[in-house]
Amino acid sequence: MGAEAVIEIEGLTKSFGRFPALRGLDLRVERGEVHGFLGPNGAGKSSTIRVLLGLLRADSGTVRLLGGDPWADVVALHRRLAYVPGDVSLWPGMTGGEAIDLLGSLRGGLDERRRAELVERFELDPTKRGRQYSKGNRQKVAIVAALASDVELLVLDEPTSGLDPLMENVFQEAVGEATQRGATVLLSSHILAEAEALADRISIIRDGRVVRSGTLADLRGQTRTTIHATLARVPGHDELAGLGDVRVDGDRLTATVESTRVGAAMALLTPLGLTSLTVAPPSLESLFLRLYGDDERASDEAVPDERAR
Amino acid sequence: MTAVSAPRAGSLVGTRTLLHATMRHDGRLFAPWVLVATLLSTSSVVVYPWVFPDQASREALAVAIGANPALGLIFGPAYDLSTADGFNAWRTLALGGFLVALGAVFAVTRATRAQEDSGQAELLASGVLGRSSRLMAGVALALVGSLAAGLVAGVTTGLCGGAWSSSLLLGATYTATGWMFAGVAAVTAQVGSDARTASALAVGTLGTLFLLRGLSTSLDAPAWTRWANPLGWTLETRPATGDHWAPLLLTVAFTVAAVGAAFALQARRDFGQGMLAQRPGPARGTARTPWRLAVRVNRPSLLTWTCVFVVLGVVFGHFTTSIEDLLAGEPAVQRILAAGAASPAQLTGAFVRTVLSLVGIIACVPGVQVLLRVRAEELEDRVEPVLAGAVARTRFYASHLLLALGTVAVLVLLAGTVVAVLAGGADIGVSTRDVLVQAAATVPAVWTVVALATALVGARPAASRAAWAGVLVSFLLTLLGPTFGLDDWVLGISPFWHVPTVTAGDPDWTGLGWLALVTAGLVTVGLAGFRHRDLAR
Repeated sequence: MGAEAVIEIEGLTKSFGRFPALRGLDLRVERGEVHGFLGPNGAGKSSTIRVLLGLLRADSGTVRLLGGDPWADVVALHRRLAYVPGDVSLWPGMTGGEAIDLLGSLRGGLDERRRAELVERFELDPTKRGRQYSKGNRQKVAIVAALASDVELLVLDEPTSGLDPLMENVFQEAVGEATQRGATVLLSSHILAEAEALADRISIIRDGRVVRSGTLADLRGQTRTTIHATLARVPGHDELAGLGDVRVDGDRLTATVESTRVGAAMALLTPLGLTSLTVAPPSLESLFLRLYGDDERASDEAVPDERAR
Repeated sequence: MTAVSAPRAGSLVGTRTLLHATMRHDGRLFAPWVLVATLLSTSSVVVYPWVFPDQASREALAVAIGANPALGLIFGPAYDLSTADGFNAWRTLALGGFLVALGAVFAVTRATRAQEDSGQAELLASGVLGRSSRLMAGVALALVGSLAAGLVAGVTTGLCGGAWSSSLLLGATYTATGWMFAGVAAVTAQVGSDARTASALAVGTLGTLFLLRGLSTSLDAPAWTRWANPLGWTLETRPATGDHWAPLLLTVAFTVAAVGAAFALQARRDFGQGMLAQRPGPARGTARTPWRLAVRVNRPSLLTWTCVFVVLGVVFGHFTTSIEDLLAGEPAVQRILAAGAASPAQLTGAFVRTVLSLVGIIACVPGVQVLLRVRAEELEDRVEPVLAGAVARTRFYASHLLLALGTVAVLVLLAGTVVAVLAGGADIGVSTRDVLVQAAATVPAVWTVVALATALVGARPAASRAAWAGVLVSFLLTLLGPTFGLDDWVLGISPFWHVPTVTAGDPDWTGLGWLALVTAGLVTVGLAGFRHRDLAR
């Protein structure tokens, strides 16, 4: 944790009328990393990003962005970052090319060579008018405008919504190149594969709070490996001590075990006569499902857990 | 009536459900238009006996109106101002119809084009819904809304003491005007390729016909010019001075024809497209600053407004040159002049001031539009990416404000110059310079109205539409206030009241100082508000 923080949020709250969108959110993004910001719809991802961009004013909490105050130092900070909104709305009469140049210039200029190259790679027709673009193509316009500028921080809010899988690949490559140039990326998403492919560290948000944060390996360690087995002999419950979430259905057994104790579980099961066995490695998805599937109490437990680390 | 002109059986499936939903959600948006039309009409009959209690005051009213032909351009001829109903007919026939027509245009555009732009229509169209149902629901909403406006205004006016025959007929003219423009808007919604173009085309048609009607009645043009103009038909009903219902049949026929044409056009165009296809544009952009962006976004409508103001200048200028003839036709005015109560130069000066105030009030519309556009852009998420760039909010907002202030100044001076050149060359007692100075003196009043919009969009965005109230209040107080004998402090609410008459012996310029002060205050509130509030909320 010694590295310099590009984004530092502590105890951020923000309400819209009586609806609390963010309730004490903590987030730390370090220089040079791709930070996945995951959460279901309506969890508060976009609100957090809008506070970071100085578009919304925080009710309480401290927010530092690139060492400055996102509300007060708007102009200086925005020269150093680029933003892709999740739902790009273009000026109806303006072409995509014009919009790229406008957004790039407002940020302090574009790298001409990279602009041309990105337009090419994303197969974007820059002469169409805003209202003629499909959702995916509108998204490309914003992506090209953001990636063609030389900035320290890329704030991407569900950037690939509407992109086809080919274009999603191109996007992942381009983000990879940006990090090689030294850019830091805050990538908000609900697409787990995208986060798994790109992110070094991940924060998971739910109901306006970050409930888990860490590297992919950390988070994987927190989840349990799932075991599906078909057994020759149906065991008694006391024989299965050490396994969690045990369900026995006829000769089929489903259970979970901590990732580090898979070996011990095998030793337990082998004497029962295994006829088939599937061991599913912990995936982000299972963590996700556990966190979101759980009731409110489970997520409240997770918060002190997170703070303690 | 319109089902006949619909292209195919089954194309109206689902209209009833859709209309029900549209009524519930958009119906209340028509309510303000019903309210304004009703207030306009009832206020005439309520206020008339009170402000003009005796014969002498009524004659004085006729003289005052006769002495200012600019009023006739807006309100049409005053046939009989000696009764409350005649007064009501003069004051509200043209205006009430105009307002209800605006409501109808916006209702149709909202239910058709705006829905296609926003994607709502696509959701609806994928349901069990005939091809023409959406248009049908939009048109029906406007027809019902206009009917409500006419009925409520007519009946309320009757209840407030108006004669039933003329009050109901007057209400019917509002309905008829609303109906015709529901038809026009249904057509323009097929022609324009987005909501803004569609409503601009319809409102442009309304404005042009309104102006032509004013000209044809004020300048004693041949009768056919009135019959050739759909808006002229409502004038021919002559509420309180004849009560002819027959001309309204023409308006119904016009409505049926226009709506039929709209359905025919709709059957021929693609979803989300207009009759005019979009061409590819430049691959590189030149708009690279907030100021250039503001210009770029508003350019098409500002170009249109420039044309409108050149035409307004020509019309008003031509009108000004005939002031002597117009006044000569008024025996009462001649008596005033003969008695030395006013000099011809004074009357001409007051007339020029009124004409330019009218120009100024119309110029408020594009000014307010530029600022409301900021709010619209904000709600459509287009301000967010701009402000995510290295752009201070104040600079962004100030760019739009400057554009609005600059635009209205240029438009007023443009029309003013045309009027000045025409009037200065006509030997009517005012010089080109006088008119130009008068036009320049009108600009600060327009700025005040624009500043009100700035304050609202900046500090109270949820109420930003109230900016139109500034335009409407200025209009009503400036043109109708004086004839009502309202107190100065009421008249002073309109910024245009503070504009001095430059041809007067010693014009009082302090009014402009007050205007500047109020303008500066409102602008400050607006800029500070925009700087400190949450965006897109």
